[in-house]
Amino acid sequence: MNALIDRTIANIGDVLLGKELEIRQALCCMLAGGHLLLEDLPGMGKTTLAHALATTLGMSFGRVQFTSDLLPSDILGVSIFNSESAQFVFQPGPIFNQVLLADEINRATPRTQSALLEAMAESQVSIDGETRPLPSPFFVIATQNPIYQSGTYALPESQLDRFLMRLSLGYPNAQAERQLLLRGEQRGNVSLPASMSADELTAIRAAVAEVTLSDSLLAYIQRLTAFTRNAPEFAMGLSPRGALALVAAARTWAMMAGRHYVVPDDVQAVIEPVVAHRLVPSADYAGDGAALVAMMQRSVDVIPD
Amino acid sequence: MNTDAALPRRALWWLIGCQFYVILPHLTRVPLWVLAIYLGAALWRLQMHRERALMPPRWLRLLLGLAAGGAVIASYQTLIGLDPMVALLLVASALKLIESVRAKDGYVLVSLGFFIMTTQFLYNQELPVALYSVVGTLLLVVSLIALNQRPSGSISRREPLLALRMLGLAIPMMIVLFLLFPRIAPLWSVPSKNTQATTGMSDVLRPGDVTRLGRSAEVAFRVQFEDQIPPQRELYWRGMVLNEFADGAWRTLGWSDHPATERKLDKPIAVGESLKYRIIIEPTMQHWLYAMPYAQSPTAGVFEAWDFRLAVRKPLESTFAYDVVTWPESSLQPELSPWRREAELALPSNLNPLTREWVERQVNAVGNGPELITRVLSYFREQPFYYTLQPPKIDDDDFVDEFIFQSLRGFCEHYAYSFVVMMRMAGIPARIIGGYQGGELNTLNNTLIVRQFDAHAWVEVWLEDRGWVRVDPTAAVAPERVEQGLEEALRGQEGFLADSLLSAYRFRSVTMVNWLRLRYDAAAWQWQSFIVGFNSDEQIDLLESWFGEIKVSWFVAVLLGSWVVVLAPLIWWMNRSRSSSERLPVEQQFAELCRALARRGIERAVGESAISLLVRAESELPAGDPQLVTLRRLADELYTGD
Repeated sequence: MNALIDRTIANIGDVLLGKELEIRQALCCMLAGGHLLLEDLPGMGKTTLAHALATTLGMSFGRVQFTSDLLPSDILGVSIFNSESAQFVFQPGPIFNQVLLADEINRATPRTQSALLEAMAESQVSIDGETRPLPSPFFVIATQNPIYQSGTYALPESQLDRFLMRLSLGYPNAQAERQLLLRGEQRGNVSLPASMSADELTAIRAAVAEVTLSDSLLAYIQRLTAFTRNAPEFAMGLSPRGALALVAAARTWAMMAGRHYVVPDDVQAVIEPVVAHRLVPSADYAGDGAALVAMMQRSVDVIPD
Repeated sequence: MNTDAALPRRALWWLIGCQFYVILPHLTRVPLWVLAIYLGAALWRLQMHRERALMPPRWLRLLLGLAAGGAVIASYQTLIGLDPMVALLLVASALKLIESVRAKDGYVLVSLGFFIMTTQFLYNQELPVALYSVVGTLLLVVSLIALNQRPSGSISRREPLLALRMLGLAIPMMIVLFLLFPRIAPLWSVPSKNTQATTGMSDVLRPGDVTRLGRSAEVAFRVQFEDQIPPQRELYWRGMVLNEFADGAWRTLGWSDHPATERKLDKPIAVGESLKYRIIIEPTMQHWLYAMPYAQSPTAGVFEAWDFRLAVRKPLESTFAYDVVTWPESSLQPELSPWRREAELALPSNLNPLTREWVERQVNAVGNGPELITRVLSYFREQPFYYTLQPPKIDDDDFVDEFIFQSLRGFCEHYAYSFVVMMRMAGIPARIIGGYQGGELNTLNNTLIVRQFDAHAWVEVWLEDRGWVRVDPTAAVAPERVEQGLEEALRGQEGFLADSLLSAYRFRSVTMVNWLRLRYDAAAWQWQSFIVGFNSDEQIDLLESWFGEIKVSWFVAVLLGSWVVVLAPLIWWMNRSRSSSERLPVEQQFAELCRALARRGIERAVGESAISLLVRAESELPAGDPQLVTLRRLADELYTGD
């Protein structure tokens, strides 16, 4: 099973060069069954990663480019009158794919954003009074440009919370970039073989469920959570949903490392992408979510003081 | 705590409130422009808070500071002394407010607030000031909490409660420090307050001086008797002895005016029953103390003067408590030296010719013995003399002539003055005694409250074999003065308590007010007696009664020991709440192993797990190392959950 995972990561690594850790984290997010938010400047490989993840997991893939005039029906689908059969026929939208890439999600209006995010939470959509289940598994990979760019609608905290992880890719290192430049522009004809079948995915998720948490580790996660709720630098502490997400991600990470139990290193490996976007720094604290996570790791020990 | 952080907004309001609270009692002592600076600074700061104004630039702030310092000097003509120093402190704290934008400035303001509040006690140590300070301390602690609060303000309304709890926790420490902290004599002395600021008797008596005191209901001193309180007419609180007349005023003959042979104390012999009592006197700025003759005091620092007064070496700048034993039947100085006799008879020969003539007639009739005294007293009793707080002013050098033959209206010092002059003319040594007569009885705690309007002047005459004998000519004119007190004597007259419009004493005919007033006075007695009066002697007495004979080393040991007794449980409790008891057994083993490894140079960082530590330890320790084995086992136990 670990060989399978390593192979998948290597596969994606062929198209997204030098981003081993981020690919591993993104895969962890998918295997944990969570939605993924990619936040970075344009041209950093967000779409490439999303596309590679979908194809390599052998899932159907749909993509919506979010714009400010995008309507909910553009994502969900619409009923069209068929004059031959004289009845309305539902034309499913891109959301009826296993992996939906919501590109530049923060460019759409809140109304459209919330239509998508509702679907993410419920795993079903209601159109024209009819409830239609979404395919399973169902993943949303959303990308967004950092919110200080103009013409964007920032996702509110409550919706950010729906994403299991938020990742930034960042610039590639010198060696990877050199390779990238040599290879030239290949966008569009990246065709990855599927390296994992649906059955294998189900098996992996079953294995994740088997991963155990020791008392000591649970206490560690509780102390981390309590720290965010008590330290003055935090305006809002981590919610129980956030703590659950941390546990789920750490479990998956442990499984990916071939262990049937979680160690603090697993938690520390996923804590930044899982927790940083859920934290709100207090008004007089200059740092952002990532700085807060660093502070948590500096301040909370693996055993009680 | 990040002191460079911005001053929390709520804290600003508390700080401004606290500032006004602590300067309020000082407002009567500083010039009015100090308040104007306060208001201006607070307004400016609030405008800054509302983004309507900017902080003045550094040079302007510097200029403001210098100008304010200059204004203090200009107002007081000096910087030396308590009042200008307090004014300077107030101005500094007001100006500090303008530049307080960081949390650390807030701490400075709170510290200044505590300091300013303490300066109140340099002026007054009575119960109301203490209560006021308790509230002030609470407010300042609330400000401190507000300074530490999160901007989201989740503890907003509980701040005062939290402050109360913190002060409550500090009470045991306060009691320990109060009882045990050494009463060290001050290393420097605060420049004295202005002498004129105090109400009370002075050591120069001119007609009209005592009269003025009748307008004040301020407490002069309180007395608590051990047993029975003597009747009102016996309560003559002897203060100063005025035996030298010059320029229309009576003064005390100074020690330096005595020839060397006369500088001795004729200690009276204690005879008869004694009276024991304790007096707590308000600051008088004078050396002498009040007591009934013949008085001795066991209190340290109190000595007997040659004229049988009690006195202290330094002027009384604060409340002072002393114990007194009085032997009323002892005779004072039954033998008078020729020099002293002459001094007590000295009188300008050219003044008051009419009186001299009258006195000579009486002496020719009855001689100059006790008979003469009776004669003069009956003259006062029989002529239409009138006892009043508003006597006509007599500027004449021949004061006595004018008084006893013309105006006939006077207060006690007029009668005493005239009587002494008449006695001296007749050849009887006589002198004026200044002090207080009577007092108000508080049956709640058997104390007597003597107020300024109880001030009185009477006379001592020297008689063969009997020594100095008290004679009160006022009693001849207005016997109710000594029987029932001044108020009764002046019933229906204006002027009494004219300066004490709001004194509770004025309203004592209202039952409720009187009930409260007497209870308050009883509480004030306790306060003065046990808290303010707890000086180093009392402290050593108390500690000796607890621990027996006290040595200095012992004392220090007790002091330190008490700190341990108070602090040790506190530290234990604080550590307990940080709770290493939350550790699982395996975590405890891991922590101990980490300490052991740290001694071998393998330190675990915060957040580093057993797994990563194991990786490092494996590279640094030999494979079979027992601690490595333990670490491996613990890493397993910690996380496999088996």
